[in-house]
Order: sequence, then structure tokens, then C-alpha cells
Amino acid sequence: MTDAIAQSFIDTFERERDALPGAGGWLAARREAAIRELADAGLPHRRLEDWKYTDLRDVLEKAAFAPAPAHQGAVLLPEGDAGSGAALFHAIDRHKIVFVNGRLNHALSDMDGLPEGVALRPLAEALEQDWAKAAIERRFDTNPQAQSISGLNLALMADGVALHVAEGVALDKPLHLIFLAADDGASHARNLVRLEKNAQATVFETHASAGAAHYFADQVTEVSLGIGATLNHIKLQDEAAKAVHLSTMRAALSEKAKLDSFTLILGAGVSRGQTFVEFEGGEAEAHVNGAYALRGEQHADQFCVVDHAVPESNSHTHFKGVLDDRSQGIFQGKVIVRPDAQKTDGRQMTNALLLSRDASVNAKPELEIYADDVQCAHGSTIGELDKDALFYLRSRGIDEMTARQLLISAFLDEALDYAPHEEARAELKALVAGWFEAGSLSAEDIV
Amino acid sequence: MAAVKETVETVGEVEKYKYGFSTEIESEKAPIGLTEDTVRYISAKKDEPEWMLEWRLEAFRRWKNMKEPTWAKVFYPTMDYQNAYYYAAPKQTVAPESLDEVDPKLLETYEKLGIPLEEQKMLAGVAVDAVFDSVSVVTTFKEKLKEAGVIFCPISEAIRDYPELVKKYLGSVVPVTDNFFATLNSAVFSDGSFVYIPKGVRCPMELSTYFRINEKQTGQFERTLIVAEEGSYVSYLEGCTAPQRDENQLHAAVVELVAMDDAEIKYSTVQNWYPGDEEGKGGIYNFVTKRGDCRGRNSKISWTQVETGSAITWKYPSCILRGDNSRGEFYSIAISNTKQQVDSGTKMIHLGKNTSSRIVSKGISAGGSSNTYRGLVSVHKKAENVRNFTQCDSLLIGDKCSAHTVPYIEAKNPTAILEHEATTSKISDEQLFYCMQRGVPEEEAVALIVNGFCRDVLQQLPMEFAVEAQKLVGISLEGSVG
Repeated sequence: MTDAIAQSFIDTFERERDALPGAGGWLAARREAAIRELADAGLPHRRLEDWKYTDLRDVLEKAAFAPAPAHQGAVLLPEGDAGSGAALFHAIDRHKIVFVNGRLNHALSDMDGLPEGVALRPLAEALEQDWAKAAIERRFDTNPQAQSISGLNLALMADGVALHVAEGVALDKPLHLIFLAADDGASHARNLVRLEKNAQATVFETHASAGAAHYFADQVTEVSLGIGATLNHIKLQDEAAKAVHLSTMRAALSEKAKLDSFTLILGAGVSRGQTFVEFEGGEAEAHVNGAYALRGEQHADQFCVVDHAVPESNSHTHFKGVLDDRSQGIFQGKVIVRPDAQKTDGRQMTNALLLSRDASVNAKPELEIYADDVQCAHGSTIGELDKDALFYLRSRGIDEMTARQLLISAFLDEALDYAPHEEARAELKALVAGWFEAGSLSAEDIV
Repeated sequence: MAAVKETVETVGEVEKYKYGFSTEIESEKAPIGLTEDTVRYISAKKDEPEWMLEWRLEAFRRWKNMKEPTWAKVFYPTMDYQNAYYYAAPKQTVAPESLDEVDPKLLETYEKLGIPLEEQKMLAGVAVDAVFDSVSVVTTFKEKLKEAGVIFCPISEAIRDYPELVKKYLGSVVPVTDNFFATLNSAVFSDGSFVYIPKGVRCPMELSTYFRINEKQTGQFERTLIVAEEGSYVSYLEGCTAPQRDENQLHAAVVELVAMDDAEIKYSTVQNWYPGDEEGKGGIYNFVTKRGDCRGRNSKISWTQVETGSAITWKYPSCILRGDNSRGEFYSIAISNTKQQVDSGTKMIHLGKNTSSRIVSKGISAGGSSNTYRGLVSVHKKAENVRNFTQCDSLLIGDKCSAHTVPYIEAKNPTAILEHEATTSKISDEQLFYCMQRGVPEEEAVALIVNGFCRDVLQQLPMEFAVEAQKLVGISLEGSVG
């Protein structure tokens, strides 16, 4: 039986199918198959192991989003508004691409001025490129977890960008993708990134609201790195307090490729960030790190699977979070080492700091190991602020609030240090500092 | 040719699973299959009161509508629950009044297993309840324990003699409806031990139950219930073996522990069921529900297990830390070789204030085996100042085996301090080289290193068991190197 919310997506699909990119082409059949799978399986719910802590079906059913309309009129970029997430990275020299309601906004974006060897196209125009087709058609048969919810995006993706960097070319400055929600409703975007041999690029992503309050942002990013290619990736998720954010990044790494990804989560009512990394060549390296700071009723679920399918690759995952009020944080991670993946080094760590009596944390760091010559470890800690450290600061004349802020920012700084871009890192730190000031670390909270 | 014969004999002696023999003894069995009549048959055999039969039937009715769990990382063909015997007992016309009346063949079996039942020969200070298929054959030192006020007897006897106690505690930790195998056990459980330590008593000796599956095509459904009243202490040991057979036999036990204020229960297991042959043929399916309830303040339950046997192990000895300041401990060594599959771990449910728990799990996989640690540490909202430390280390020997760690950590109270760490690696070449360079053969070197790896857990075992367990660690890994 198809659940009501899946049905509403199916209805949207029926209504919009002919206007979606790739209609009439090869993609139409893939979309058709994906929506049929969704109809059979329904949306993921808490009785499925991977969704144990986040019942997406329930969340979407309660919210009942209609599809987001194409935005009418102009959108003002909140660039002057320092301290707002949407304004982040404004001061950094970068290529800027803006999406409004999941659709590329040409007026606000600069698609030109890219160096030779770098191609940036809207999704619809990239569909006939072989690499783009391969990226969209990629199956994850050995790792069905990577497939669980991406079908929804495949069926309904309306826009996105495809970045291709040719062999040996380095993107001159960061590419900044800004996703703004200006109207309520559901939007589905898909981005493709392909770096050929020894190519390099830095990509920033910002997800924020520009007026909308009640929306569902669903996004899938496919990353494919050629031999020796390097991708630095920084994502800021600062959606509106009632928004639902679902994002999936799937990355395939060739020999000696390097992925360095950092995510900061401050926003959204309910968010689920999924990262899947597959090693296809040896001596490759993946860093998937992040930090989150939650308050109110916020719920953030980080789900990260690193699949070592070949020998001699390294992975490092570290997520740190602070939780205030009634917020909930979840970290689910998994390192898989396949039978032949000898000499793998896999590390995974998660730390959470509970600031309030009603906040909660769930962690599930998993190891699945089929090869013997490996070094794999994971760790998890959960606790509150160290009373001794607090006392130490207080005894030196620092007031309680400042002392708490100092300790919390020291805690988060360790994670923020992973952000693979110096200026961006400084901006992220400033933003997190703002989080405390705006925060509810008021006197009555201090126990 | 005498020398050849001697060699053959020697080889026979060092055979890996020395408990693989079976005893030719006439037995009576329930009709094959599982129906309400089977449940009635078992209940009648045990001469049980009406309430017990009702309890069993209720469980059986529930079980019929339950589905076998599939979430564990173990794979086995679908079991035919109708093609097994649920009750098998050595034939005996009258119940033995003393050891002299016990069938000598049975005594011989236990002798061969290294468990002498004649009290004068026994290791001083250990009382044994010997369970053979579905019945308890003999319980030693009963009288001496009675003097201290301790009740130690087969559970079937307890149902008849102490119905009030059994009624009060049976199913209070593992409810009838807990899970598929526990419910099955509730319907057809045959024997096991009942221990009751009265208020303020420190049990004068170690209590021990030795489980033996003998009959073909049977399942063993033991039920153990241990109640430690206020301020009491008991240390309980459990050992198990089974004959070497090509078929898979089911062992679905339920163990319930209740610790009241200031009481302490120490429960140690050396599980050495037949693990199946090199190709993974035969062996015991060990699907066990073990749970302890720290009901009183300052109570403590400690599980120590050495798992070397069974084709498949599905076992999560847990602690419900209900009483304030109560403490749960779980020390485990799980060794898997050949085609063995282990999915084991623990659950620490923190409900009371200032409760603490410690988990040390050492998984060793060799051959083509699969070894999974699956655990839960859960802190409820009202549990203040909870402390947990979890360490699970896996050691891989050979490139055909696998090791998995699946921990769940759930915190709903900010004052909790939870730490979890896990590592997976192989025996380092440097360590091996160091030993071998000093003349220690490779297999011994591996056993030595593995024993070091397990040391934290082995130290927790009572002395008599620790020696046996150490040997077992070596034997289980035989043939895994080279």
C-alpha cells in the first residue's frame, strides 16, 4: 500500500513529468522506474534500521508540503546582513551560483568567467554528456543504503548544476552554490561534480531561507573524482526553523583522489544529511567531517557510510555537536572494509555535548570489516560541560556565561578546524560565535 | 605397527572438540513436533501445577503468531520447528534419592566431561547442577547449601517446592512475550537451575550448572532464575557441551537474574557447544536471552562470558539498572573459527540515578567466521549522573573472516558521561616475530598474544574457570594460522 505522502509525490510526478528536465529522453524511463520504486517501498520510517532515529515519512506527512512554485519577482541576496548564514562567504572571491526554490536563478548567478577546461551547465543541458549520464545512472548495488531515498530526488529533480573540470585543471576560485527558499513547498535539486585526472576544485554550498518558512529541500550531489583529483567541499546548512532538509552526497574516488568535506549544521527543524563514499582506487583519501549546534526543537541526523572496496585507502570521519533546549542530535556512521581492501585505515569519531536537561543524543558508529590487515577504530563520547574546567575558568574571574561559551566554542573549534579553506573557516567560526550570542544560554539555564 | 596406533591415538586425543562424543542411553522423548499437546506433555512430565501449564500455554499461543527475528548478522537455513523433539530425558524409573541411584552411564558421561559429580571428589567449594538434555540429573551439595539458607535446585523442582517464589519472579525480567526465542522457551522450557539467596547471605560456595545436549534432533530449552535478596552475594558458573553431529540443534535458553538492594550476582559462562565442522556442517544454534535486573539500590550484576562454541551465537546478556547506584558489567570474549557466526553483545539500560556500567568485549575471528558485537547503552531521562565505559576490540586472524561492531548509544540526560571506543586490527607481525624469534612456535605465539588480548576479561573469571578458558582460547584457534 502506498502511504499518503508517497502518493502526493507520485501525483506531483504525474502532473509535472513532461516539464521536468530530460522529458522524452533517456532520463524519462529512469524517473518512471524511480517513482514506481517509491510507490512500492513508500517513504522511509523508523521501523527501517537506517531511519530508526528519524521518521521521514512521519515528518513529511505532518508537514504535507505542496511542490514549491517557481518564484515570482526578484530575490534580494542577504549579503549585507552579517551574521546571517545566507550571507556567508560573501567576502571571499568566488564564482556564485544561486538557486531559488530549487531552480537556477540566472539573474543572480555568474555562469561565465570560468577558466578554460571548466564547464558549468544547468542540469538540463548536461544530460547528454556521457559523464553526467553515468553519474545519474550509477547503481549502488553493493551498498543499497546509498539508494534508499535518492529515488525521490531522481523522479522529481527539477534543476541543478553540472560541474566538469578537465584533466590537470584547477578551478581558479571556489564555486559557491547558494540554495535559497523564497516560497513554501518542496523542491528537489541535483548537482553533479566530475573532476578528471589531477583536477582540483573547491565547492561551497549554502542552504538558507530567503523568506520561506515552511519548506522541504531535497538535494542529491553526485561526486566523481578521477585519478589524483582533489575536491574541497564546505557546506553550511542554515535552513529556516520549520524547514525539512534532506541531502545526500555520493562520492566515488579513483586512485590517489582526495575528498575533503566539511558540513556545519545550524538550521532546519528536521535535517538528515547522508554521505556515501566509495573508494574505487588505492591510496585515495576521504575526510568527512562536520559540526552541529542545535536548539529549540531541532532534530539533525548525520548518516555517513564509507566503503573501502579496494586496498590502501584512508578515511576519517569526525562529527561534533552541541545540543541545547529540546534538540536531538544523531550520528550514524559506518566504515565498511571489503574482503580485498587490505591496508585500510578507517577512523570514525563522534562527540556530543548536552547543554540542556531535555536535549538528547543518539550515536551508532558501526564497523563492518572483512579484511584482516587493517587499522580501524571508532569512538564516541557524550556528556555535559566539564565542571572542573568550568570551575577553573570561574576561579580566574571569568563569569559563568563567558566561561561556558569559551568551553563550548573550544569544543566546536576542533571540528571547525577541519574546514578545508582558510577564509571560509574563519567565517564559519564567526558564524558559530554568533550562534552563542543569539542563543538561549541565559542565566536560568545555568544549573 | 604399535607406533602407528599410538600416533593415531595421540592425534585422536588432541582432536579439537573433545566433548564431541555421545552417550548411548535409553531415553524417552516427547512426540516429534510442537503443538499444545507437546507443551502439556512436558508440563505433565514435570508434574507441574495447573498455573504453570497455563503460563506455558499462553506463551505457546503467543509464539505461534510471532516471527523469527532477522536483524542479526547471522545466516542459517529456515528452521523446521515441527521436526524436532522438545523433550528428551534419560529413562529412569524412579527419581534418584542419592548419587548411588543415578545411572552410572550418566555419571560416566560427566566424568568424561571433567565434571565429577561425586561430592568427595569435587573441587571444594563448587556445587553443581547437572542438566542432561531436558532434565536435571543431579544437584550436589544441596544439603550443605540448605544450611546456609540457599536454595539451589532444578527449576522443575522449584516449581513444585517453592511455587510462591517462582511465581513471583519467573518472567519478571524476561517477559513471556519478550522475543521469539524467549517465548518459545517459555512454552517448552524443560530444566535449568533455580537459585535463591536469602537476605544477607553470602553464598558459601560457587554454584554451577553444567548443560549437556546428548539426544539427536532435540532442542534444549533451559530456564535459569537467580534471585539475590537484600545484601546477598552469589557467584554462578555455567558450562555447556554437546556431541559432534552433522545436524544443527537448537539451544534456546532464558536466564533471569534479580538483584535486590545491595545484592550482587556474578554470572560466568564458558560456552563450548559443538561449533560444527570445518565446512560449517552441524553445530548448535545458541539463541539465548539473558537479562539481569538490578532492582535494588546499590545492587550489582556482572556478566562474564567466554564464547568459543556454537555454529551460531545470538546472545545479549543485559542489565536493567533500575535501582539507584546500581552497577552492570559485561566482560566478553567471543572467539569464532571455521564457519562460526557470532552476533553477541549487551544492553545496559540506565534507569536509576548514579548507575554505572562497564563493557569490555573482545572479539576474535579466525578461519571463515563472522563475529559481530552489537550493544546498546541507553540513558533514560531521569537517570542522573550515569557513567558508562565501553571498549570493544576485534582481532582478525586470516583474511577470510570478518568482524563487525554495531553499538547504539542513546542519551536523554545531560549529566551522563558515556564513552565508547572500538578498534579492529590483526596480530601485528612485530609481536609474532618477537615470540617466534625466541623459539615459540607460531600457533603457540598466536595463542599467547590472543591470551594477552583477552586478559582483561579472563581476569574476571573465577579461578577454576579461568584456567579452562585460557586453554579453550588456544584450542579454538587451532589451525587458524599458516
